[in-house]
Amino acid sequence: MPTLVGVFSQAGPVATLARRLRDRGFGDLEVYSPVPAVELDGALDEKPSRVRLWTLIGGLTGVVTGFLMTIWMSYDWPIVVGGKPLASIPPYVVIAFELTILFGGVLTVLGFFWVGGLPYGKFGKPDATYSTRFSAEDFGLVVRCSDRDVAEVDGLFRAHEAKEVTLVEA
Amino acid sequence: MTPPPAMSVAAMMRPPVEVPDSPVNRDLLAVMGRPTLLYWLLLLFLVVFVHAVGAVWVFQVYKGLGIAGYKHPVFWGVYIVTFVFWVGIAHAGTLISAILYLFRSKWRNAINRSAEAMTVFAVLTAAQFLGIHVGRIWKSYFILPYPNQRGLWVNFKSPLVWDTFAISTYATISILFLFVGLIPDIAIARDRSTGWRRLLYTALSFGWVGTAKQWKSFNRAVLHLSGLATPLVLSVHSVVSWDFAMSIVPTWHSTIFAPYFVAGAIFSGFAMVLTVMIPVRRIFALEAYITEYHLENMARFILLTSLIVGYAYGMEFFMAWYSGSEFERSAWWYRAFGDYWVSAWVMISCNSIFPNILWFKWARTNVTILFIVSVLVNVGMWFERYVIIVIGLSHEFNPDVWNHYMPSVPEMLILAGSFAFFAMFFVIFIKLFPVVAIAEVKELVIHEKAHHGGGAVAHGETH
Repeated sequence: MPTLVGVFSQAGPVATLARRLRDRGFGDLEVYSPVPAVELDGALDEKPSRVRLWTLIGGLTGVVTGFLMTIWMSYDWPIVVGGKPLASIPPYVVIAFELTILFGGVLTVLGFFWVGGLPYGKFGKPDATYSTRFSAEDFGLVVRCSDRDVAEVDGLFRAHEAKEVTLVEA
Repeated sequence: MTPPPAMSVAAMMRPPVEVPDSPVNRDLLAVMGRPTLLYWLLLLFLVVFVHAVGAVWVFQVYKGLGIAGYKHPVFWGVYIVTFVFWVGIAHAGTLISAILYLFRSKWRNAINRSAEAMTVFAVLTAAQFLGIHVGRIWKSYFILPYPNQRGLWVNFKSPLVWDTFAISTYATISILFLFVGLIPDIAIARDRSTGWRRLLYTALSFGWVGTAKQWKSFNRAVLHLSGLATPLVLSVHSVVSWDFAMSIVPTWHSTIFAPYFVAGAIFSGFAMVLTVMIPVRRIFALEAYITEYHLENMARFILLTSLIVGYAYGMEFFMAWYSGSEFERSAWWYRAFGDYWVSAWVMISCNSIFPNILWFKWARTNVTILFIVSVLVNVGMWFERYVIIVIGLSHEFNPDVWNHYMPSVPEMLILAGSFAFFAMFFVIFIKLFPVVAIAEVKELVIHEKAHHGGGAVAHGETH
């Protein structure tokens, strides 16, 4: 299947073009960006990132663990400290708070790996479409399409400020 | 549009175009270039010094805590002082990375990486002191709630247990934060390195190529980590302050402690970032990236937090007088004019008098003055903790047990070793990983290019 790689110097046109291509039914797209450009977040997938769910689950697990652990352990070794009830909620808030952050943070990072599809590719062998210029200052848009669409995609690339268009696979 | 025949599609294939690398990559990866002889000598000195001090610690384990200068009733000395000092230093990184990220302050980009790295190393340094302080290091795991044959659990009502949770959470989250932020930059380094470095960066970049999916989850993860780290950073030094404020010791038992400690932590953290970054910026010619603008903003933060800390000092004295409590008044008089008056006045002058020079723009933009002020603040903040901890304990309620603590030589050596320990990690880090966040600085450069057009981009103007 022919694969076209367009090289751009700005993120804006890449996002616009990606949307147009998706509207025209080109589903097999990939975007490379050298920087965390927010414009591109919705370029291929409009839905908010699923990392949100991971953070939420992590945080909730943390707060529940924090309170259950402290309260259960206080009753399992029932020793009165400072005349306070065994299950003293105010001091346990500190533990529950720290565990909320800890579990939430760890799950966020795991979610980042899972949702972002990392580890990506084969060890030490980047994709054929990837080039080191995409870790320099250029943005890339990769389109896999049928032979008959090559000219159309090429035209769209050039209409959206592509600096270069390369065909990497025929 | 007529579909072209298959032949012509194949004919369209061209070899990839060779383009020059981004100047931002080139300049910032140059920091990781071949180390000079001076670098190796510095690293050798640090490693040897850390090991020599490690030997002092082993000696302490062998002889017992008696070799420290503890005298009844002062059993918290230099080790706890230094622990609190390093935890404080660790606050700048998360503040710059998380809080300024949420406020969308673009000027953080040039300094966030080094500050995050300092956070991690400072927490590691601080954590050493918990082990050093308890003396019987082999029993330090007793603080963790683990199932055991005696069927007992830790006392969750103790601030020392809160502190264990706070510090270990902070260490974990700051390491994760640093690492997640590093992944795109490690990929940049991977694409431009050979040999063992390429292997290392290939492994650590997890195949990052910057696809839309990867950046999308990256942006979301960084946002959430910032959101989680912001309350965390405020909680950590609050919890450290409760180690003191939960007791009834005069000068400790005070509700002002949490905000006062957090402000002090940010104050000392920013000062340490300046102390480290000013020489690094000079040595590696990073003036175009870490500009006077960045340094000036740091100076403003130092001035602001200095004022908060100064207000807290004044308010503590006021409350001691206004409360009418005999013990408080006596303890505070002793702090300012007693045996330890030198420490107290070093603290007040370094933290609340000298930083006032930063009211003037000429001082904020003068690198030498900034460096001197930042070193003085570090000294002052170490003394602040010394003043709070040691003076507080030496002059409690019962005059019969008042006593005077002086740090012993092993304690001072271990204190000096902590600086070498911190510096050793930073010196290694600077040659292994990008010390300025390349992708984020580049984002500003590309943004500038879009708005000013052409390739003539002043890389310094990255605010």
